[in-house]
This record gives sequence, structure tokens and C-alpha cells, in this order.
Amino acid sequence: MTTSNKRIAKQTGKYAILTAALVLFAGPLVWMLSTMMKTKQETYKVPPSILPESLNFEAFHRLFDVQPLMWRWIQNSFTISALVVLGAILSSSIVAYGFSRFTTKYKDRLFPIVLMTLMIPPSILMIPSYVLFTKLHWVDTWLPLIVPAWLGGAYYIFLFRQFFMTIPQELDEATYLDGGNRWTVFTKVIMPLSKPIVVTTVIFAFVNSWLDFLGPFLYIKSNNMFTLSVGLQLLIGQTSQDFPALAAGAFISIVPIGLLFLFAQRYIVEGVVLTGSKG
Amino acid sequence: MKSKLRRYDTLIFFLFISPWIIGFSLFFLVPFGTSVFYAFTDARLPGAAEYNFVGLSNFVDMFNNPIFSKSLTNTAYFVIIGVPVVTAGMLLLAMLLNMNVKGIAIYRTFYYLPTLVPIVATVIIWRLVFNSEFGILNAGLSVLGIGKIDWMGSEGLVKPVIILLQVWISGSGVLIFLAALKNVPKHLYEAVLIDGANKVQSFFRVTLPMISPSILFVVIIQTMYNFQMFTEALLLTKGGPNYAAYTFVYNIYKSAFTDLKFSMAMTQSIFLFALISLVTFVLMKLSKRFVYYEGEK
Repeated sequence: MTTSNKRIAKQTGKYAILTAALVLFAGPLVWMLSTMMKTKQETYKVPPSILPESLNFEAFHRLFDVQPLMWRWIQNSFTISALVVLGAILSSSIVAYGFSRFTTKYKDRLFPIVLMTLMIPPSILMIPSYVLFTKLHWVDTWLPLIVPAWLGGAYYIFLFRQFFMTIPQELDEATYLDGGNRWTVFTKVIMPLSKPIVVTTVIFAFVNSWLDFLGPFLYIKSNNMFTLSVGLQLLIGQTSQDFPALAAGAFISIVPIGLLFLFAQRYIVEGVVLTGSKG
Repeated sequence: MKSKLRRYDTLIFFLFISPWIIGFSLFFLVPFGTSVFYAFTDARLPGAAEYNFVGLSNFVDMFNNPIFSKSLTNTAYFVIIGVPVVTAGMLLLAMLLNMNVKGIAIYRTFYYLPTLVPIVATVIIWRLVFNSEFGILNAGLSVLGIGKIDWMGSEGLVKPVIILLQVWISGSGVLIFLAALKNVPKHLYEAVLIDGANKVQSFFRVTLPMISPSILFVVIIQTMYNFQMFTEALLLTKGGPNYAAYTFVYNIYKSAFTDLKFSMAMTQSIFLFALISLVTFVLMKLSKRFVYYEGEK
């Protein structure tokens, strides 16, 4: 075999392995897409066909008929996520400014505590938090899902602080000479330079809020207050044999994040690696 | 004058971080304190006005409950078997995606997609794929002459199915390993190649030591996650069949919301916290022997 033939064989082998693994990873998603376009009868066929006989979107009509609250849940999910994103950006950036620009002994003592809270397993606080929200009369409202985001999430404080540290202090000094104070430096100097980290935070806060299941599952009791995820969970119980409708519901819950990923893949990858390698 | 100015600046500092101080106190210190307090009482309901101190009897009751030891065994399975399997899976995928071929970026996108699927949607998809009657998996296996397998209904298979699901959504760990692999200096591979090492030897002598800090990080995160395994088990099979996927946190949830024994649920939470802290501490200590940090002699 010549060298170039060898190289071609090697390349082909690599593609074969990659594609085989791809079938395992993308396969379940393709199966979902295929199932949601089948008729109910088609899904009971043995052996099942991989592709639907024709493109048919009846399952979506059935889904919204069986569960008239679907629209409501989609709106709820978007509203909650938007409020979480807004709170995460405003509060975390302000706190991160405190932790990056002041020289006080309290800063060095408190910041390790911020990082420590990242390492605390959240499920050990699940029950006592429920007790707290009961006493505050927040159960069956969106407040347990939204308010914590407005009070400085440790993860986003860390992201903002890391970014603020890279902005030269000389810019702050110049602003003080012009008669500016801490707040002017924050709003007029730091934030305008921080667009990349704001975008990253918007994406991460949205994704995390949209993916959250346990929070809304525990704290929200009324059906019309549900998020899409908790609503779908209810649907699994109601129509466990209507596979196309279930697949359609799963598809709807994936679309917003799928679209975000298409347009912001770079930010998501960088964010995961940044926080991963810093930990 | 100067000290007055400094005190003023410290005040401004506290104003800036005040959202975090409130959030940390309210959503962290208060729940944590509540847990420790109620663990020694017999309070049954979240807003209970009446309760008695019962000393350590919650802890005694906890250990005497057969369901508790079952949940502990199941959780140990997810930690001792699940964590190595998921971590190895992530590393293998990262190495696949680190291959130098055209169009690899498209492959990476598709491997990461499942990680962004909401957990309820993931569970729906897995029920469709693993359905014993109409699922695509059993249909594929029957072509190979393998009979119907009841994936979710079998006590022996439900935990492996959940671990497989974890591998499917392991994209974040894969990204961390991929970044680490890209940071391994090329000249090290060339050096061992000159020494006559083959691919396998260079993996153990160069790749593994160089990415060991990332392995430690991923193992710790995954260990903490698997100790808290709950949502997957709840949504996939409700902890069944016959308690086969009934995990520790599932037990906490049940103690609180089904048995209405909130004090018992908090006792279990504290026990879990101690257990996770201990295991993380041991992992960190052990890792000193295996993890290589650049710049260290």
C-alpha cells in the first residue's frame, strides 16, 4: 500500500468511528423527530419503521387539544426565564464589581465563601428551602424561582468577577480624576466594556432557568402556574400511550435552546470550559 | 482623615455586595440552620408550630429503616459504578472529537446537543427508544436475534439504563476534556515516540498525567452529582421497579412529601452532606498522588 492510500484508509476509519458514535448520540433525537410526525397507529407497528410514512403534524394539534394549558406553560417558562436573566445580570454584575475593585480585608474573607457555595450540593438544601418558602408564603408562586437570581448567584458573580479583573485599573483612575465615583466607574466604564460576559450570562441564565425541573416541580402546585417542563411531566402521566404527542411536547421544549445553541455555540462552549478549568 | 475615607469605602463595598449578603443569608444560611435545628426535633410539617426535641432519635430511626439502606446501596451503585463509567465515556468521546479530520466541528455540535435537552424531554425520548414493545432499540436488537428486553421494568437493568442516559447528556464533561487534550504539548508525544512508545503507551505516559487535573475536576463534580441522583430516577421509573432506582435523595423527597416527616428528611439531608463532604475530602487527598500539576517539581 502506498502512503497516500494508507492515509485515505486511516481517514475513512476515523469517519467510520465518528459516524457510528454519532448514530448513538443523534439517533434518539432523530427517533423523537420521526415519532412526532407519525400517526398514533403507526407507532404501534411491529417492527417499527424508522421514518414516518408521510409528514404529518396531527400530534401537535392533539397535544394542544389534550392539554389546553400548553400555550400557558410555554409563556410561563419564557416569563420566568426572562426575569431570571434580568436579575442575574443586574445583581451579579454589581456584586462582582464589589469583589473585583475594592481593597478591604472583608473582600478577601468573603469571596472564598462565594466560591464555597458553588461546591455545596443543592439537594441538601431542598427540604429546608421548602420550609422557608412555606413560611414566606412563596409556595405556589414564581418567587422561589426568580428572587434568588436577583440576589447574586455565585456562579454568575464568579463569571463577572473574572472578566472585570481583566479590565485595566487605569481606566478607573482616569474616571476618578474626572470627578467620577464608584457608581460612575461601574456604569460608565466597566459595564460598557463587559458586553461579552453579559452575553455569556444571558445565555447561561436562560439555559439554566429553562432546564430547571426540580425548582418548579417542588414549589409550584397550580397547573396554570407550571413551567413547560413540569407541564410535560404531567402530560407523561396523562397520555403515556400517545407517543407522537409526547414526542411533539419534548420537541417544543427543546426548540428555544436548540435555536440559542445554533446562534451562540461559541459562548456556550467557552463558558463551560472557562468555569470547568477554573474549578 | 484617611481612615475615615477608608471606612467610607468599606461601607460602599458592602453596599455593592449587599444583594449577595441578603441572598446568601436567606437562601443558604437560614435553610442550613433550619436543617440542623429540625433534625433534632419531631416536626412533621413545613410550618409546624408544635414540635419536641427528640435528641438523636431521628438518626437512630434513619439507620433502622430498611428503605434507607436500600436507597444508600442504590446511590452507592451510581457513585461507584456510574462515576467511572460516565467519566471514561466522556474521555473516550473527547478523544474521538479531538481527532484531526475535516468537519469535526459539525460532529462536536451533534454530540453536545443532547446535553441541552430538558430532562423531561430526555426522559420522554428514552421512553420512546427503550420502550419494550414499540421502541427502536429492541427492534434493532431483534434484527440481531436478541429477544425483547424489558429495560425499564427490570431491577437489574434500570440503573445501567440511567447511567447510559448520563453518558448521553455528558457533553459538558466532554468539552472540559477536549479543552484539556488540546492543551497537551505536542512535543511530549514526539518525545515518547522517539523513545519507541506506541499509541497505548503514549496515552498512559503523556495524555493521562497531563490531563489529570481535569479528570479530578470531572470526577468530583460527577461524584457530587451522582450522590444527589434523583430527577432521572423519579421521571424514568418513579424509583422502581421494586425500589431498584430508589436513590438517597428520592428517599429524602419521600420522607418529606409522602410521609410528611420533614424533620426526618432534614436528618437525611445532613447525613448526605456529611457523606458527600467526606468522600470529596478523601478524593482530594488521594488525588495528590495521582494528579500532576504543571510547574510542580
